[in-house]
Amino acid sequence: MDGRAETIRADKVTKRFGGLTAVDQVSYVLHENEVAGIIGSNGAGKTTFFNLLTGYYLPDEGTISYCGEDVTRMTPQQRVARGMMRTFQLTSTFDNLSVVDNLGLAYFRAHKKSGLMQLLFNTRKSQRNEPKIVQTMDTFDLQDVRDREVKNLSLGEKRRLEIAMAILVDPKVLLLDEPLAGLAESEIQSILGVLRKHVGHQTILIVEHKLSHVQDFLQRLTVMHEGRIIADGTAEEALRHPEVRRSYWQIDVTAESAGVATP
Amino acid sequence: MNALRWWWGLVLAFALLVVMRVFLPLPFANEVVIFSIYTIGCNFLLGRVGFISFGQPAYLAVGAYAAGFYFTYFGANPYIGIVIGIVVGFIVALIVGPFFVRLRSDYFALVNLALAVIIYFLMQKVLAPITNGDNGLWYLTNLEPTPVLDLTHPSQFFIFALLVGFATWAFYKYLDDSIYGACCLGAKINEDKLTFLGYDNFRIRLTAFVIANTTTALAGALYAVYLGFVSPEITSPTRAVDPVVVTILGGVGTLYGPIVGAIAYTGMKDVLSQILVNWELMIGFLLVFIMLAGEKGIWGTLEPRLKKLFFRKAASETAGGSKARTA
Ligand SMILES: Nc1ncnc2c1ncn2[C@@H]1O[C@H](COP(=O)(O)OP(=O)(O)OP(=O)(O)O)[C@@H](O)[C@H]1O
Ligand SMILES: [Mg+2]
Repeated sequence: MDGRAETIRADKVTKRFGGLTAVDQVSYVLHENEVAGIIGSNGAGKTTFFNLLTGYYLPDEGTISYCGEDVTRMTPQQRVARGMMRTFQLTSTFDNLSVVDNLGLAYFRAHKKSGLMQLLFNTRKSQRNEPKIVQTMDTFDLQDVRDREVKNLSLGEKRRLEIAMAILVDPKVLLLDEPLAGLAESEIQSILGVLRKHVGHQTILIVEHKLSHVQDFLQRLTVMHEGRIIADGTAEEALRHPEVRRSYWQIDVTAESAGVATP
Repeated sequence: MNALRWWWGLVLAFALLVVMRVFLPLPFANEVVIFSIYTIGCNFLLGRVGFISFGQPAYLAVGAYAAGFYFTYFGANPYIGIVIGIVVGFIVALIVGPFFVRLRSDYFALVNLALAVIIYFLMQKVLAPITNGDNGLWYLTNLEPTPVLDLTHPSQFFIFALLVGFATWAFYKYLDDSIYGACCLGAKINEDKLTFLGYDNFRIRLTAFVIANTTTALAGALYAVYLGFVSPEITSPTRAVDPVVVTILGGVGTLYGPIVGAIAYTGMKDVLSQILVNWELMIGFLLVFIMLAGEKGIWGTLEPRLKKLFFRKAASETAGGSKARTA
């Protein structure tokens, strides 16, 4: 596994909020085409770590490189332009636009240029029948709601839309922050079904609370606790780790029951 | 066919303005058209990008004074004066924009008001030697009659203003349909997402700011030509919220809201001010009512109903139209 090229390397990154150290000296390497997961109890620093990788926050200490290039001080746009794409824990879409226009915005930036002139001289309509967008709507079962304003969608549909927007741009690395939280079992399965198709030819990093759902297709699992990585390896290895048993399992009941039974 | 559908609303709206011109006094018609153009920038900022500005008169004054200075000191051609108003408005927006659009919405509203106040005092006091202070610049008789459309003639000015208005609305309608329009709507409610899709938020907001306020400066230059004078009154802090009022009255974020709002506002001003001394009080009550009734404004309430009515009609019209073409 270590022979593979590095996609993301975080080197001793730290992020503090006032007196609280949300991410504490975290070093982490994500390899090309790896499908990795991060779990951890509430407030473990998973989202903050994501925010550091994607440029939402700048780290107080440490460096982040992407495909060998130092991106520590780069803006989110610069990282996106290099192939990083994320979703948000609280589903983030454009609620005042239709489903197809949401996808259109994602697609346009990635496949055309985002210069002002291109934005001004292309109509939204020109995107609506792009084969790639139509195909993505099929994949994510969004055809029926394509012209609906996103504010009228269910949480599951919104979540599918956000992931569809991320996958549509063919990112080099896909960072998903709790993509399954709050969804019904059938919706979880349909999202996992799509993600499975990308396993092996896309680098994916997933933050998840309910390990049971993603365990079988994660090649690697990292456990965070109070801003630190306390275990890293295959899912079995990570969960067997003594520190994980001690600190994580005691706190998070869902993870504990995960290995035993699926609700 | 698609092109037709794109234009028909615009054509209809401006045809109605022509009808208004026939039945109502010319000054009213001129005032409405210019006020509409004045308001559409504010409507765009508020409804499409989520920026509320209490300082639109600043940009109106920039356009008006730029044209006014030209007419007083340099030349007499109304067309050139209008172009100068637009260009100077564009430049000023481009200069202050990068500072202003960084601010959050509430501070944005106030910083524009501050600019309006600054310009007011500049024109009234500081630059009084060249602006004549409160008296303003008077150049009506200097203006040179122009061939084809004589802008010094109010009835021909109306035709010109109408054409400019039509072009402005076509532009804003196109803007709504463009990817850029979608970016603006996106930026209005979810800047983070836009950033993490790779768009440059700052540039999107700055562009919106420049577009809107160049349009406002255009309205200012039109006033300058139409009125034949310009005084600090145009950017008086007491008039600062007029465009916001008209925007809300007409319907925030609707394409034709500014026109409907301008007609309603100017109409009420003309009619109510004759019977009521405090006519603005009525507008105040009306605004409170509109906001409590769902913030849709006059056009925002009417549009869906008219669409329903029209789509029934449009279906039969379309059938007729395509027959005529094949025949
Ligand atoms: N912007 C912020 N300002 C202050 N504190 C913050 C901020 N963002 C996160 N924190 C704090 O940092 C810690 C880590 O938060 P983070 O959101 O990264 O946790 P998480 O692992 O994603 O948790 P969850 O499972 O609840 O999503 C928490 O204690 C949180 O309160
Ligand atoms: Mg989180």
